[in-house]
Amino acid sequence: MADLTESLALTARPRTTGAVKSDQWRRRIGVLEWVGLHAVGLGLAIVFVLPFVFLLLTSVMSSDQALTTDLWPRTWHWENYAQVFRTEGFVTWWKNSLMYAGLGTALTIVSSTPVAYALAKMRFTGRNAALMLVISMMMLPPQVVIVPMYLLWAKQFHLTGTLWPIIIPLAFGDAYSIFLLRQFLLTIPREYIDAAKVDGCGEWRTLLSVVVPMIKPALVAVALFQFFYCWNDYFGPQIYASENPAAWTLSYGLQSFKGAHHVNWNLTMAATLLVMAPVIVIFLLAQRAFIRGVTLTGVKG
Amino acid sequence: MHASRHTLIALAIASVAVVTSGCTGSSPSTDPVATTVAPTEKVTITFWHGWSQPSEVKAIADNIAAFQKLHPNITVKTVPNVADDKILQGIRGGNGPDVVSSFTTDNVGMFCNGALMDLNPWLAKSGVDKNSVFLKPMVEYTQYQGKQCTLPLLGDAYGMYYNKAMFAAAGISAPPRTWSEFKADAVKLTKQSGASYSQLGFMPTFHGYENAIAHWVSQSGPTYFSADGKANIDKDPAFADFLTMQKDLVDSLGGFARLEKYRNGFGEEFSPQNAFEAGKVAMQIDGEWRTVSIRDDGVKLDWATAPLPVPDDQAASYGRGYVSGTVVGIPANSKHAAAAWEFVKYLTTDTTALVTFANAIHNVPSTHAAMSSPDLDKDAQFATFLQIAQNEQSNTTPASPNGGQYQTILQDFTYKWESGQAKDLTSGLADVDQQIDKANAQAKG
Amino acid sequence: MSATTFGRGATPATARAAAWTPRQPGRRRRQNLAALGLIWPWLIGFGIFFVYPLVSTVWFSFTHYDQINPPTWVGLRNWRYVFGLHAFWQSLGNTAWLVVVMVSLRVVSGLGLGLLVVRVKRGAGLLRTVFYLPYLAPPVAATIAFAFLLNPGTGPVNTLLSKVGIQGPDWFNDPAWAKPALTLLAVWGVGDLMVIFVASLLDVPAEQYEAAELDGAGPLQRFRYITIPHLRPVLTFAAITGVIATLQYYTQAVVVAQVASGRADQPGAPFDAGYPNGSTLTLPQLVYSMGFQHFETGSACVISVVLFVIAMAFTSVLLRRGAGFIAAED
Repeated sequence: MADLTESLALTARPRTTGAVKSDQWRRRIGVLEWVGLHAVGLGLAIVFVLPFVFLLLTSVMSSDQALTTDLWPRTWHWENYAQVFRTEGFVTWWKNSLMYAGLGTALTIVSSTPVAYALAKMRFTGRNAALMLVISMMMLPPQVVIVPMYLLWAKQFHLTGTLWPIIIPLAFGDAYSIFLLRQFLLTIPREYIDAAKVDGCGEWRTLLSVVVPMIKPALVAVALFQFFYCWNDYFGPQIYASENPAAWTLSYGLQSFKGAHHVNWNLTMAATLLVMAPVIVIFLLAQRAFIRGVTLTGVKG
Repeated sequence: MHASRHTLIALAIASVAVVTSGCTGSSPSTDPVATTVAPTEKVTITFWHGWSQPSEVKAIADNIAAFQKLHPNITVKTVPNVADDKILQGIRGGNGPDVVSSFTTDNVGMFCNGALMDLNPWLAKSGVDKNSVFLKPMVEYTQYQGKQCTLPLLGDAYGMYYNKAMFAAAGISAPPRTWSEFKADAVKLTKQSGASYSQLGFMPTFHGYENAIAHWVSQSGPTYFSADGKANIDKDPAFADFLTMQKDLVDSLGGFARLEKYRNGFGEEFSPQNAFEAGKVAMQIDGEWRTVSIRDDGVKLDWATAPLPVPDDQAASYGRGYVSGTVVGIPANSKHAAAAWEFVKYLTTDTTALVTFANAIHNVPSTHAAMSSPDLDKDAQFATFLQIAQNEQSNTTPASPNGGQYQTILQDFTYKWESGQAKDLTSGLADVDQQIDKANAQAKG
Repeated sequence: MSATTFGRGATPATARAAAWTPRQPGRRRRQNLAALGLIWPWLIGFGIFFVYPLVSTVWFSFTHYDQINPPTWVGLRNWRYVFGLHAFWQSLGNTAWLVVVMVSLRVVSGLGLGLLVVRVKRGAGLLRTVFYLPYLAPPVAATIAFAFLLNPGTGPVNTLLSKVGIQGPDWFNDPAWAKPALTLLAVWGVGDLMVIFVASLLDVPAEQYEAAELDGAGPLQRFRYITIPHLRPVLTFAAITGVIATLQYYTQAVVVAQVASGRADQPGAPFDAGYPNGSTLTLPQLVYSMGFQHFETGSACVISVVLFVIAMAFTSVLLRRGAGFIAAED
């Protein structure tokens, strides 16, 4: 896919030229439409941004003012952010989130790529069945299997109270990432792979030296998705790690932060923004890879 | 990566073993009742508790430090801020601690179902007579079907807070002692303004902070379950009488919709914006902790405390109230039961420990000895709650096998009742009983 | 590569399966072994994390198991119990409400924003970023933020509304408004659908519009007869994946009930699941509270099986409708 902004510019042109035979009346309608569209766009953009603005404004209020209906801070308390970082556990939650998201993403990529490759480019008995199973796993609500899964990790492996029960499974391939990578792999012409085969490469060599370099953009997109999925995950840490505050992640800890600072909406909002921040920063840096990823398959719930 | 692959293969093989062997629960271990630990034996025990506020965490840490001075060979590792369901989950998962505490008594029934040890033999060996040591309602809510699987560690009592200035302005000289006085006062103290209120006598709706049926119905000594264990809510008139009184109050004060609108403008319960502290209501049902909050929040308020009013035909029982509290116990799969018992015994029966802790976090002591200790903070408003806790007719919600599901079922009905969605009290309460019996039967297996 | 990869120009899976039926058994075995060499870890994971728990969920649904004492077989008792539970039907109703209202509103607003972004000439890239950002906000953070914004007493939304003379509803504190408020939160995070629709809209050949315009078709007709048919596969996909995501709706409902009820303030206070009055209780929440709060493993597993059946029914529709996009290239 070409860069979206470029294609936006491209498609904008034909429609303007389409109005070539328009008379004055139609031109006036065109101007009105232009103004109307941009006004609606601007209005909606403000509505979408306002929540962030209110969060930011409240996060720098004093505790007392944050409990009032005031919208604008009387005095600016940027030190609220420092106070959030000093809160017991906050730094630990950051580390845990980074570990879960970082390790989880690395494992996902390493374990999912070969499966996606096999499903897209290799012929073997039961391939379609395997694909159906991947899609079924992808669509399965995690709550369906959570009770036996918890009992397995608790009673057989004794790993509850840690994040391992949600990290280890990623080493066995993540259905969603497999599916996404497979969709991308389908677009790679067979000839490249056949050429590698002729050169005498085995499947692993072909995968590592020919395919992986070609699907780098998709790998980046899938890695970003997985990172965000782990970063945002609340259910997993709640089930497996909630009994041990030392293993909490930011997403889970934020909830208890709200509980412990029930009256400090300013601190809660500061903490909320601090949890959102990494995701937003990464997105702004890697926007292109992202949009490509979303449009890759039209999935991602 | 390669190394972890190997461990994962091992995991996979292990899990195949699980699949083939079927699913077996871990059976509770049978530790012999050794109530003391040899002083030479170094032991580390883990203690999970739910306190999270810095002042509370410090108070429990001080308490533990004092214990370790007495028992230098026992090290206590604490995990703070653990919610109740996590405690239960941890114990069940088999990776739990050696000592747990829980803020609600609702789960005692589940604790007694093999999760925590029965402490009766330990009490006997240590020569502690629970009935003479602990307050009566507290002994009751810490056991289930004869198993003393928890012990009380401080408690809470519920009473009434009232605004003296508003009372004086309305010409009321003393807090109400009966329900009819209560209703009359609430109406007198209410000033409607427009679609709302400039002052409300009492917020009777059931989402209003601590205003739950379980806290109120104690004023008439209810029987939730009959002797055969069946739900008794439609048979004991205490429930219907209270709900009738509450609905009458809702209607007399301006109706459900108007009251809810007003309530949604209330501030957070544990903040200076609390409706009572902010002067939005003249009377409020609350626990003893509010005495400290009002002082700490520094609000200007002319206030006092009293027991909650009782039904008119039970006027003599005035002074009673709902009692609850923190419980502690030892998981059945603890590997250091003897050391854990030393710690539990110290926490729950040592008078100095209890008094210091009670003064620090402002809860009601759970033993008679601590109650009568001269060191106990006996502030006049706090003393109201000490008396309610010691009142012979004070009572609590009974333990159930499923973590107080009967209370949730009853509560759900009260929401329908107050909003007018449920009109027939008799059939409604009969349905509540039926649901409770079903849920309890389901839990017993 | 764009969103429309699926649904267009793909041969049905069955036709292709027949096409490569191998003639040499030796080669086929070699290929199978090679593939196995790549997918065996996933196969093991599939067994441990899918087959095993699914089978035990079904088995547990016929047992009484408190997770301490060994499970005992109780036949259909849990099933009868769950189907007689008010909370079960209430959460089923809530989940259905969310599936119908939330999913359709998300699809409609995603499409609307997509059309807007495509037609706007100035600042389209910026608009796209702005509409996409909220989707990335971690659900817990976004939910706490909305609980604050929609706080009936002091929240900015009702403050602003009262400034223009409207008395705002009680949002998360009113059983009638709690689900609409959650829908608002979901629509705020509609950026994923918006991006998919934008990509697909850009794929519509401009000549088709020009030809239609020359034939005198108005904007509505062009939308109806060119845009919609072109988008159909994407719309179907968005709707079905939306339904499946909504069947899992959990985090936002849990967090908002805790924050709005204020019950989480006091540790140990019973959690008012589905506050207010069960209006935000969903099936996944019921699984959690049955399995991990009441420790009625059997009943939790009954609800899990129900959830599984519903999810798989929608998945099979997707598999059938989307055969094109799932189809392999070779």
